Amino acid sequence: MKLYDYVLSGNCYKIRLLLDFLELSHEKRAVDFFPGREHKSDEFLQINPLGQIPVLEDDGAYIRDAQAILVYLASRYDPTATWWPVNDPSELGRVAQWLAFADSITSTASAARLHDVLGYDLDVAQARAGAHRLFRILDDHLANQELQGFNWIAGSNPTVADIACFPYVALAGDGGIELFYYPAIQRWIRRFVNLPRFKLMPGINIFD
Amino acid sequence: MKPSELEAGWFPAGLQNYVLPKTAGRVVIADNDIALWRGEDGQIRAWENRCPHRGMRLSYGIVRGNTLTCLYHGWSYDGAGACAGIPAHPELTPPKTIRAKAYRAADAGGFIWVANPGETTAPPSIDGDWVPNRSVHIDATPVSLNELAEGMGAGLVSKITDHAGIVRVHGVEEEILLAFLDMKKHGAMIHTSVPASASEDVAIAVSKLTSRLRQVFKASSAA
Repeated sequence: MKLYDYVLSGNCYKIRLLLDFLELSHEKRAVDFFPGREHKSDEFLQINPLGQIPVLEDDGAYIRDAQAILVYLASRYDPTATWWPVNDPSELGRVAQWLAFADSITSTASAARLHDVLGYDLDVAQARAGAHRLFRILDDHLANQELQGFNWIAGSNPTVADIACFPYVALAGDGGIELFYYPAIQRWIRRFVNLPRFKLMPGINIFD
Repeated sequence: MKPSELEAGWFPAGLQNYVLPKTAGRVVIADNDIALWRGEDGQIRAWENRCPHRGMRLSYGIVRGNTLTCLYHGWSYDGAGACAGIPAHPELTPPKTIRAKAYRAADAGGFIWVANPGETTAPPSIDGDWVPNRSVHIDATPVSLNELAEGMGAGLVSKITDHAGIVRVHGVEEEILLAFLDMKKHGAMIHTSVPASASEDVAIAVSKLTSRLRQVFKASSAA
């Protein structure tokens, strides 16, 4: 199994997290995302015509899109079926719903970070406003989960929904989005950091 | 220079569970950036949010035992704010003049309260057992506790400070604690606590009413 990876990418980090949580042996192939733009090279476009990372190569097939890779890995390699809870349709529906939400976080909070950290040319005020709209929804949801005794997005166990939402929420400060507005999100970040086999990535400075 | 003094009195800085033991967090009171942290002793502490060494926010710091260590160069401070160690000079006993500026801090009614170092009044004393319920960020600060209570459809039963009081909310059996924290350019935080005896339904109802305040106290520029 091979992960096409970039260390500062939150989307690649999602896959690294699940590979570690499931203790799956794999190799990493570093993609020169910045400044080399290797993900837009002819060679890489053969692997992923969208020119995006991460890509996972497994059993001779390429899987693209962070959320899709999470679903693939958890469905295939999680014997407990908790990260992608196929045996519980209502929980599975909630997980899928928050996977889509994670994509919206990428297009807002991650965009603001790309602007501030890597100098991308985009409307950063709009990206930040969009992130705050989503973070309010997530903070409300996590606060009400806590009041019902649930620590995680979809219920009492962490799922791929938590992994998909975690990186660009935890990195939001890099894009000028203040996390102290969202106490329930901050508590959830701290619980996530305390999961067994969790590893930090550069820019996430939370220590247990 | 930004002011380093708060107005007189005690401010509701957050819910007690905003800062769990052995963690640090950031809070803004008016124009003042403040690090809140608890050691393993559980005691809440509020310091100016800048390391005396290079100005790094201490809210990024790491708590070990009952000391806070700055993330930047590892200077550590004991529970009273005195510098306890400088990694680059392991042999050195830090001079007593190196200190984090400490505010007063206390837990009461499910909230963390912060006041100036020289505040002479005691922290609010609130009867009964309360549990933290909800903290919500709003864009526009209410002009008064009365306006906040009205915005929630609540009646003020008794005032604790200018920013906190006991209120009765329409449709909710128990009286609740309601407070707001003015963060000036950052808007404001609303905090609520409910009696420890409150049911889960009451807790969720209060949390939802609190989050609805975002629609009441919107930025004036918002359409």
